[in-house]
Amino acid sequence: MNAIFQKVYDFVDERIGLKTLEAKLMNEPIKGGSRWAYVFGSCLLFIFIMQAITGMLLMFYYIPSADHAYASTQFIIHEVDYGWFILSYHFWGSSAMVVMVFAHMSQVFLWGAYKKPREMIWLVGLVLFVIVMAFGFTGYLLPWDQRAYWATTVGVEIMDKTPIVPGQMTLSRFFVIHVMILPAALMGLAGLHLFFFRSAGPAGPFRGTTEELKAKTDFFFPRQVWKDIVAMAAVFMIICTLAFIEPVQLLEQATPDPGEYHPEPEWYFLFLFQMLRWKIFSGEFGQFLGAIAIPGLFLLLLAALPFIDRSPERNIFKRPIALLSWTVVMIGIVVLTVSAILNREFLD
Amino acid sequence: MAHPVENLSSIKLAWAVAWSAFWTGFPFKLIVALLLLAGQVHPWEGAGLVTLLVVSIPIDIWAVGLTARTVFLERLSMEIRGPVGVSLWWQGAVLGALVLGGAYYAVGTTVAVGQKVAAAIIALIKKFYPALPIAEQITLELLLWTIPTAIVLLVFVLLWLHLFGWRVKRVVVASGQTSSASFVERVRQWDYARVPADPTLVLVSFAGVIVTLTVVFWVLLPVTTPTPHPDYPLQQVQKASKPVKPEELINKTEATLKKAEAVLAALEKEKSRETTKGKSK
Repeated sequence: MNAIFQKVYDFVDERIGLKTLEAKLMNEPIKGGSRWAYVFGSCLLFIFIMQAITGMLLMFYYIPSADHAYASTQFIIHEVDYGWFILSYHFWGSSAMVVMVFAHMSQVFLWGAYKKPREMIWLVGLVLFVIVMAFGFTGYLLPWDQRAYWATTVGVEIMDKTPIVPGQMTLSRFFVIHVMILPAALMGLAGLHLFFFRSAGPAGPFRGTTEELKAKTDFFFPRQVWKDIVAMAAVFMIICTLAFIEPVQLLEQATPDPGEYHPEPEWYFLFLFQMLRWKIFSGEFGQFLGAIAIPGLFLLLLAALPFIDRSPERNIFKRPIALLSWTVVMIGIVVLTVSAILNREFLD
Repeated sequence: MAHPVENLSSIKLAWAVAWSAFWTGFPFKLIVALLLLAGQVHPWEGAGLVTLLVVSIPIDIWAVGLTARTVFLERLSMEIRGPVGVSLWWQGAVLGALVLGGAYYAVGTTVAVGQKVAAAIIALIKKFYPALPIAEQITLELLLWTIPTAIVLLVFVLLWLHLFGWRVKRVVVASGQTSSASFVERVRQWDYARVPADPTLVLVSFAGVIVTLTVVFWVLLPVTTPTPHPDYPLQQVQKASKPVKPEELINKTEATLKKAEAVLAALEKEKSRETTKGKSK
């Protein structure tokens, strides 16, 4: 068996240089050694692959038309073998991806890993963040129930003040963006992100003497690979657990009349939705300020961060402004999200 | 001369052990919880909860022992004689139960008082500014009672860490001995304690465990949804039945019968012709 495997390996190696590729991929030195803090990027890649697999399985049964989208999703949940689980995994996988993107970006920010010479990795990462949010937004409409329909309506209205009524064209376009354009963009940019990462090398820990860092420096394989695999398994199990605890249940089929249903976007846009309810953001200019100007400026600030913050200091405990800003943003997001949930009972 | 461990902060030491131990044991507990869920047993109540708690005890003892050893080796250059997992676990559990009891009462009281105070402050603001919008009111009220609650909770967490750290230090003083290994050797030692040294063993064992668990998982997993929505169930599409027209049906049947009779007569005729031919031969 080993001889056959070796022959196949040698055959492929002779043609594409497998040994060199393997050495490049696996023998990447990690300054300061492997760490659990470095698993977020690998976990994101894993979640994306699982989203692609479950998404393809769902596409075997899903019909992207306003007449059949709801019925075909109901069919997946109730009739297709394990369809309910695959759909629920895909649903929670999208949330996991958003959470993981926040975790990954936070780790990079707190570790100061966006600083020179890693500015390009940070910039591509920001575009990937926007793509992940777009994935969630476009996928949410596809089941075509009241929740999906009104989340999209509210979401579009946040970005563009023109009221829309999602119809067949919206569904078709969202479907194409969700299953064709965004995956292609994400694959290309994730590849570029990894290429830049490998070119610049990992930033390593922000603390420790040169002697300590040198002593702990290790290759990517096996210890970091092991940690990545354990983290991916944990992420997989958490998504499965959520799929069991809260499986996808459709509401009534989408109609242009919300009826009893109070429209709101997906949970990861709730903080913005709640912020827009503040009086300061009322009126046309206020809505523009809250929905477009502030989030846009925030993204621009993040993009400019490596060029503004030129200090080589990476220790977060010696960067009080960075630590304070991160804490305020995170607490703000949590408080506004909880406020949006509490706000539901005042809507009747 | 004071033992080197006394120079370390109890809270930092306890945090290093407890945080790592939590994440070390977490994936194993998750496997148990997931298999229970696949078998439609809730791990947060009844038999499921008991199973999870019982399984968690040996996992936690192992995780605390492992992480404590590596923390001592890394931060204090000390090796510990004998098993420390059981000793640290029961002390942590007793302290945890005591602190949790106190925290339950204190946090509950803080929430109740905080909400009352927040409501009073909001009422006062509304006196001067009656048009206070609901969205601002909710966020303000939330901040007013969650900030003191978070502080009280943090105090109890720090209290538990301080007490646990104090017990961890006692264990180190009682059974720790300074390691003679160099820094580089110690790095390898604690790294190998957490991650298997043999890469092939890592991959093969992991693949084996994953395959086994996957098979068990899919065997237990319900084929169709165990939780259909009570208000919006699957709408069974009924096939539209054609209206029955008796005259048309009789005519159609008669025509089919006539056709069949004609075919039968033709077949019989052919058969009798073949029989006559055979006799004449």
